Amino acid sequence: MKAFVTRRKRPLAVLSVLTVAIATAVAISVGGAQARSSADELKGAGATFPAPLIAAWQQKYEAAKGVKITYNPIGSGGGIQAITNKTVDFGASDAPMTPDQFNTCGGCVELPWALSATSVMYNLPGLPNNLHMTGPILAGIYLGQIKKWDDPKIKAVNKGVNLPSTDITPVYRSDSSGTTFNFTTYLNTVSRQWKSQIGRGTTVNWPAGVGARGSSGVSGVISRTPGAVGYADIAYALKNHLKFFSMQNRAKKFARPGLAGIRAAAQADRKFNPQSNELSIVNPPGSPRFAKAYPICTYTYVILRMQSDKANLLKPFVTWALTSGQQYGPALIFQPVPKYVVKRGKATLKKVHS
Amino acid sequence: MSVAQERATGPAALQRRGRFRPGDAILYVVTCAAALTGVVLLALITHEVLTQAWPAMQKFGLGFLTTQAWGDKGNTLFGAKSFIFGTVVTSLGALLLATPISLAIALFLSELAPRWIRAVVAPLVELLAAIPSVVLGLWGILVLGPFITGTLGPAIHGTLGWVPIFSTKPSVGSNMFAAILILTIMIIPIVSSICRELFVGVPAELKDGALALGATRWEVVRGVVFPYARAGIAAALILGLGRALGEAIAVTQVIGNRVAINTSLFDPGDTLASRIAGQYQGADTALQVASLVYLAVILLVFSLIANLAAQLIVRRVAGRHQV
Amino acid sequence: MSANAPTADLFRSERMRRRRIVNRLVEGAATAAALLAVALLIIVVSSVVRQGWAAINVDFFTKTPAIYTGFGPRPASGISSAIIGTLIIIGIALLMALPVGVLTAIYLNELAPRKLASVLTLAFDVLNGIPAIVLGIFVFIFVVVGHGQAAWKASFALAILMVPMIARSTQEVLALVPSSMREASLALGAAKWRTTLSVVLPQAVGGIVTGATLATARAAGETAPLLFTSALYSDSVSYDPRQPIASIPMFIFTSAEQADPVLHEQAWGAAAVLIGIILIASLIARWFADRSVRRLKGER
Repeated sequence: MKAFVTRRKRPLAVLSVLTVAIATAVAISVGGAQARSSADELKGAGATFPAPLIAAWQQKYEAAKGVKITYNPIGSGGGIQAITNKTVDFGASDAPMTPDQFNTCGGCVELPWALSATSVMYNLPGLPNNLHMTGPILAGIYLGQIKKWDDPKIKAVNKGVNLPSTDITPVYRSDSSGTTFNFTTYLNTVSRQWKSQIGRGTTVNWPAGVGARGSSGVSGVISRTPGAVGYADIAYALKNHLKFFSMQNRAKKFARPGLAGIRAAAQADRKFNPQSNELSIVNPPGSPRFAKAYPICTYTYVILRMQSDKANLLKPFVTWALTSGQQYGPALIFQPVPKYVVKRGKATLKKVHS
Repeated sequence: MSVAQERATGPAALQRRGRFRPGDAILYVVTCAAALTGVVLLALITHEVLTQAWPAMQKFGLGFLTTQAWGDKGNTLFGAKSFIFGTVVTSLGALLLATPISLAIALFLSELAPRWIRAVVAPLVELLAAIPSVVLGLWGILVLGPFITGTLGPAIHGTLGWVPIFSTKPSVGSNMFAAILILTIMIIPIVSSICRELFVGVPAELKDGALALGATRWEVVRGVVFPYARAGIAAALILGLGRALGEAIAVTQVIGNRVAINTSLFDPGDTLASRIAGQYQGADTALQVASLVYLAVILLVFSLIANLAAQLIVRRVAGRHQV
Repeated sequence: MSANAPTADLFRSERMRRRRIVNRLVEGAATAAALLAVALLIIVVSSVVRQGWAAINVDFFTKTPAIYTGFGPRPASGISSAIIGTLIIIGIALLMALPVGVLTAIYLNELAPRKLASVLTLAFDVLNGIPAIVLGIFVFIFVVVGHGQAAWKASFALAILMVPMIARSTQEVLALVPSSMREASLALGAAKWRTTLSVVLPQAVGGIVTGATLATARAAGETAPLLFTSALYSDSVSYDPRQPIASIPMFIFTSAEQADPVLHEQAWGAAAVLIGIILIASLIARWFADRSVRRLKGER
C-alpha cells in the first residue's frame, strides 16, 4: 500500500507540471495579444504579383503612419475569395473581377493601384540573358507543340545563339492566379489556336508542363529545372536572378520588361471598365508610339468593400499607395501609375465608407 | 456472521449499493458525452462536406467522376477523372513497392534478427514513421527530384523505356514517380510495424511444429506465419493504402500539379488530396470551391471504405483468434 | 531401401540444397529490406541535418522571418515566431484533446455496455483514418468561412486528429489495470466515480502521458489542417490565438517551393528543429510506456 502511494505521485507530478507549462504558454500568448491593439491594423490577402511592392509599402507606411499592414500572398483567386468572405480588410487581384464575382462579393469596389510586367523566365545554363521570344512560339511551347530548345522557330529569332537540345518544360500556376489571367490574355491575342482551344482565365486547362503554387513556386521550379520556362512578375525574376526573355511586340521590336517598356504599354488603354475599373494593356498595337512597349504588362487591382469598419484606415492607406507609395515601385520594376489612374482611384475611394 | 460482514453483505448494504449517487451520474454523463464526440464529429464532417459540395454535385452529378477537366470553358467545367487516376496510380504503385519491403522488414524483425539488432533497427524503422510529411516533401523537392531527373530517371528510361510506364524521360523533378517513392517511404513503417506484431503473435507451437517437421525458416513463414496472419496482413496493407490515399502535403510538393492522364510515370500528374491542398485557398468562384469539396467527398469515400474494410478485418480476426 | 537409396539420397539432398538456397535468399532479402529502411531514414535525416546545419545559429532561434525583396542587404531572419506559434497551437490542441480523449476512454472501458463500446470504438477508429486534409476542409467550412482564420481553429482541427490516439492509448492502459483493484474499492463502499478517479486513473497516468505525447508528436508535424486555418505567409508576427499565427510546418511548406537558396537552408533548419521536437516527444512517450506497462504488469 505504501508503494502504491509513492509510485502514484510521480506521474501525477509530471502531468501537473505539463499542464501548468501549457497553461502558462497560453496565458502569456493571450496576455501578449491583448497588449497589442488590433485597432491600427489592416489585413489584406491576394495576388502574389504585387507582393514585393506591398512588402515595401508595409514597412514605409508603418514607419510613417503607425498602421500595421499584414498581407497574405495567396493568389488573386484567394484575394477575391477572402474579401468576399470578409476575412480581410482589402483584397488584391491582377484579374479584374467579373460581374458574377461582384454580385457574390456584394458591395465591393475595385481600382488599379500598381502597374508592372509579367516576365517570361527561362533556365538555360550558360546562355545570355534577354534572349528573343515571340508570342506565337510561346503559345506553341505552352500548347506542347514546340518541345525542344533547338527548335528551328526559336533558332530563327535567336541567330548566333547556341541553343541546346534540352526538352522545354513549361511551368504554369497551379493555383488561381491573376498572373495566369494576364499571361493567357496575351496568348489569346497571339495564337488563334490557343484562343479557341484553351482561352484565358485565372485557371485554365494547361495542355503541357508542370504546375507550381504562387509566383515564388514558379520561380522555384524554374530555378531547379534546366530547360524550364515560366511566367511571373518581373520582380520575381530579378529577385531570384532568373533570366527572362525580350518579347516581340506588335511593332516587331523585342522589348524587355523594364520601366520603359511598361510605360510605353500603359498608353494602350485609358478607358476604365465602369464596374471593375479594368484597363487592359496587353499586346498594344504596332504603331510607332508603342515601339518600346513590352507586350505582357498588367495593372493590378485592390478590392475594397464599400461598407467597412476600417474605412477610416483603408482610405488613407489606398490614397497613400496611389500617390506617395508609387515612389517605391521603380526599384522593383513597378512603373508609377499615370495621373488619370490616381484620379479615378480617388473618385472610386469616395464610395467607401464605414 | 460478524458485524462487519453483516454490514457489508446484509440487506442494508444491498440497499446502499443500489442508492443513487450523483457523482456516478455526473461521471457517466460527462464521459458518455465525450465518447459520443466521435460519432458526432463523423456525422458533422460528412454533413458539412456534403453540403458544401452540393452545388457541384448537383451541377455535374456522377459525370464529375468521368470528366477530365479543371477550370475549362471559362472556369465553369470541373471533373475528377485525372485526379482519381492519379490517386489510384500513386497509391497502388506505392503499395506495390511497399508490400514486399514491409513484409521483409517485419520478417527480419520478428524471426531473423538477434535481439540486439532488433533493439536498434526496430526504433529506427518506427522513426521513419515519425518524419512529418512536409519534411519528406522538402526532401522530395530538393534531393529526390534532382536525383530522379539526373540519375535514376535516365537510368530507368534507358533500360526499361520500352515499358509504357517509363516511356518518357523525366525533364522535371516533379512527377508521379517521385510521388510514388515518397508515398512508399510513408507506408513502409506503418505496414511493417503492424505486420511485425502479427508475426510475433503467431503461436509458437505452430511454428515449432513446422520446424520439427524439417521445414526451413522460409517454409515456416510461407506455410505457417503468412496463412495465420493473412487477414491481419491484409488489414495492414489496407491501412497503408488509406494513408497513401489521404496524403496531401508531400504529394502536392512533388507531383507537378498537372491535370492529365499520362501513361508514363515520369510525367507530372495530380491526386485528389494534392489538388485540394494546392487550390483550395485560391479558388475564386463558388463553383470552383464546391468542386474542390466534391473532390474531398470522393476522397472521403475512398478512405472510409479502406478504413472500414481494415477495421472489420481486424475485428473479425480478433474474434477468431480469441483463445 | 537398397538400390534406390543412393538416388533417393541424392534427390533428397538436391531438393534440400535448393530449399536451403531459397531460405538463404529470403533471409538475405529480408535483411536487405531492413537495411533499406534504415538507409532511407539515415539518408533523409542526414540531408536534413547536413543542409540545415548552415542555417542554425542564434539568429535562427531569436529572429522572426523577414521578407527579402532581392535588393540591398539581406535582413537577419529566423523562425522564432514559427517555433512559438507551433508550441501555442499544439498546446491549445492538447488542452482540447486530452480531456475528451481521457474521458472517452474512461467511458468506453469502465462504464459503457459492451456493444455500445465496440460501436463507439469503431467510430473513433474511423475518425482516426480520415485524411488530415479533409479535416482541414471541415474546420474551414465549420468555423473559418465568414469569420477568418485563427490559431485556435487550427488547434481545433489538430485536436480532432489527436483525440482518437489519446483515447486509444488510454483505453489500452486502463484495460491493464487489474479489476481486483476496482472490486476492492467498490467493496469498501466507494462510489464508482470515486473508484475511477482515485484508484483506476492514477494507475493509468503513464499510459495517458504516452498517448498524449505521441499524439502531440504527430500533430506537430501536420501541415494540411494549418493550410486552411492558420496560414501566415508574410513576415508579420502574431501570437494571438484569435489570429492566424506562424508555425514550423507552414514555414517549411512555403519555403521549400521558393527559388531562394537561403530560404531552402532555413527550411532544412526548421525541419531539423521539427524532427528534434518529434524525436524528443517520441522518446519521452516510449520511456513512459515502458515504465507504466512494466509497473502494471509487475503488480499482477
